[in-house]
Amino acid sequence: MTVAVSANGTIELTGACPVEDAEALLQCLLTTPAGAVDWSACESAHTAVIQVLLVAKAAPVGAPVSGFLRDIVAPLLQRRS
Amino acid sequence: MNEFIEQFILESRDLVEQATAALSILEKSPQDPEALDAVLRAFHTLKGGAGIVDFAAMERAVHAAEDALSHSRAADHAVTARVINDCLACLDQVVRWLDLMEQSGEVVADADAQADALIARLVHSVTNDRPLAPAIEKNASASWSNELLKRNPGMRQQAKTAVRFIPPADSFFRGEDPMALIAALPGLLMLEAEPVGEEWPTLDALDPFESILVLTALTGSTGPAVRAHLEGHAGECEVVALAAAGPQGSEQALTPTSRDVLKAQLVFLDSVESRTFIGRVASAGRVASNVLRYCGLGAQADLIAHATRQSLDDNSPRALREQIARALEAQAPLSAAPTSQAPSRPEALARTLRVDAERVDALIRLTGELTVVRNAIGHAVKLAQADTSSLAGTLKKHYGALDNITSELQSAVLGMRVLPLRTVLQRFPRMVREISADLAKPAKLLIEGDETEADKAIVEMLFEPLLHIVRNAMDHGIEDAAVRARKNKPAIATLRMRASRQGDRVLIEVDDDGNGVDIARVRQVALEGGIATVESLDAMSEAEIVDLVFAPGFSTAASVTELSGRGVGMDAVRTAVGRVGGRVSMESRYGQGTTVRFTLPFSVMMSHVMTVEAGGQMFGIPLDAVVESIRVPIESIACIGAAQAIVHRNHTLPVFELARVLRVREEARDQEDAAMIIATFGGQLGGIRVDRIGEPMEVMLRPLDGLLSGIPGLAGTTILGDGRVLLVLDLDGVIQ
Repeated sequence: MTVAVSANGTIELTGACPVEDAEALLQCLLTTPAGAVDWSACESAHTAVIQVLLVAKAAPVGAPVSGFLRDIVAPLLQRRS
Repeated sequence: MNEFIEQFILESRDLVEQATAALSILEKSPQDPEALDAVLRAFHTLKGGAGIVDFAAMERAVHAAEDALSHSRAADHAVTARVINDCLACLDQVVRWLDLMEQSGEVVADADAQADALIARLVHSVTNDRPLAPAIEKNASASWSNELLKRNPGMRQQAKTAVRFIPPADSFFRGEDPMALIAALPGLLMLEAEPVGEEWPTLDALDPFESILVLTALTGSTGPAVRAHLEGHAGECEVVALAAAGPQGSEQALTPTSRDVLKAQLVFLDSVESRTFIGRVASAGRVASNVLRYCGLGAQADLIAHATRQSLDDNSPRALREQIARALEAQAPLSAAPTSQAPSRPEALARTLRVDAERVDALIRLTGELTVVRNAIGHAVKLAQADTSSLAGTLKKHYGALDNITSELQSAVLGMRVLPLRTVLQRFPRMVREISADLAKPAKLLIEGDETEADKAIVEMLFEPLLHIVRNAMDHGIEDAAVRARKNKPAIATLRMRASRQGDRVLIEVDDDGNGVDIARVRQVALEGGIATVESLDAMSEAEIVDLVFAPGFSTAASVTELSGRGVGMDAVRTAVGRVGGRVSMESRYGQGTTVRFTLPFSVMMSHVMTVEAGGQMFGIPLDAVVESIRVPIESIACIGAAQAIVHRNHTLPVFELARVLRVREEARDQEDAAMIIATFGGQLGGIRVDRIGEPMEVMLRPLDGLLSGIPGLAGTTILGDGRVLLVLDLDGVIQ
């Protein structure tokens, strides 16, 4: 499981998030609309996962390991949120 | 020129020809698998060649065409007319590039914009039947990339390429990860994502497994690298090479003339009144964007187009004015050095010729035989030294052999210059289709005898005259659909091009089933234009009146259209055809159609002439103009004022004295008979009085060059057996 909700209600993305995680992430965001997303442990994310973040206007917290997520996708999500 | 490039140009021209031929088959039978294979093969080889000479733009463009066609094959549906058109457009562009390369000897450096436009067009054709994208605008590759740069001004210095990627909706299902592809783009600078539709969906309406993204990115890598990376997604991607910012971009600066034109648009916009507002703004916008596009500033042109729309929306010329001013500022004028006019493309014929191997073999065989005869003559020389009794017989025998071989050699060499008319005729089906669409007159073109051969020079000069005839037929001859319906004519008009070989002439007929030539109208126009008088018109037969359309300055078009008309055409056709020793005539069947007939020499080099003597000099008259040679009693020549005429076979024919017309010394004659050649010139029969009539002979005509080239009335020269120069006359020119 790479999408999990922590005790304090934060949605955490860890490791490599495959396409299936999009569904899980979408459910999490639907149930906790105000929930923050933490992707500091995320190594990679499928387009479908990023697409869910874009639609949800979520700006994840933390600096992920992946340079692409950190330097390219993070500003994209920032602009959207 | 680099040998590779030379070879590349040669082969590419061949391939373009093959692809065009196969595409025209596909057009008629879109399901024909062999034709599709042939086109794909030709495109594939073209692409390979472009790769070898490192012509990336062409490689990409051709690749996109190949992709579009493969898509049809993979999807197992007929190739659409749209894809065929786009592929033909691609071939047209390739030909233009090849022409440029032939002039410069180098790969075209700034072809990326043209390639991008083609690719966008081809991609659009393919994706057309599955509208995933918010419509990739036609010819608008640059507008999104401009917007992208505008939003990210900080990237302007580094960004070399912009990418737009619209993953298919089902791409996640297909196991694709579009962003991973973008992440791996070389030199990726930034990424933007927009929804395919107008707005982002709400979270609860989102299908997480359907891609709804339009991804746009800027990279610091050059186009080819980026394109190579995106290979396999050609149908979903657009890659635009960005013009370098700042002074590096100055090679694309406006020329002084273009600046003047742009400034003139500003002045033009100053005097806009409400009554003329729409017309003025639209026209200034169009002119400005055309100028910019011409200067290779496609991005600026798009901005102008955008500003024009905005001005029209705002009902104020302000936006357009500002944008034109910005374009002027952005593009510093070129240095004072005159923007050297690109050397105008010489009309000279292509210097290379592809020759059938068999023809070369025949030539080699003949040289061998020639050597044998040379040796035999050498033997005869030895014989001559020893004894003369048998010499005459031996020489005569060898002369006969030499004569045979020389004639064969001559025709073999001429054969190497021969091309089938197909090379020019195959361009017409498409021309007719385009003209037909422009004029909204449905028409089909039938071509017969396109395997007929003629000299390369003839084949190559034919395109313009034929095109003119076809345009005229479509524009003036063929009636509007409504008129055709009223006359019970088939809704689709038929144009026919027929080529055939007639002795040493080549006959090409172009006919249509339109309305024919309106004789009354021709008369009226000829009168108004001062081309003929009432009296001369009354004396003319219908055929002669029809022939007036070839008179300089003649035009019957009620309205001058863009396509044909202005009266500079038909006489130009006659001149061009006449220049290579051909003739053109028109036959009209009122209400039923028109036939235009081109009679051309098979070869521009060989001609049959009749020799005549006038004023003590020998002249040649082209045999195809000669009808007969006669002797008439002097008294049968009637003098009418300063002119002379005879009655021959119940026709009164004008008579010209060749010596007098040519102003050579006239010999005192005391004969009872006059020698005369009856010939056609200027479309009419007439008599040419000469001192003596010689023999018909076949000569190798040398084209006129140097000082001689400007002399009217002279068709060429040749050397006679005794070393004298024979001037061969062009009767039309002489009599005029």
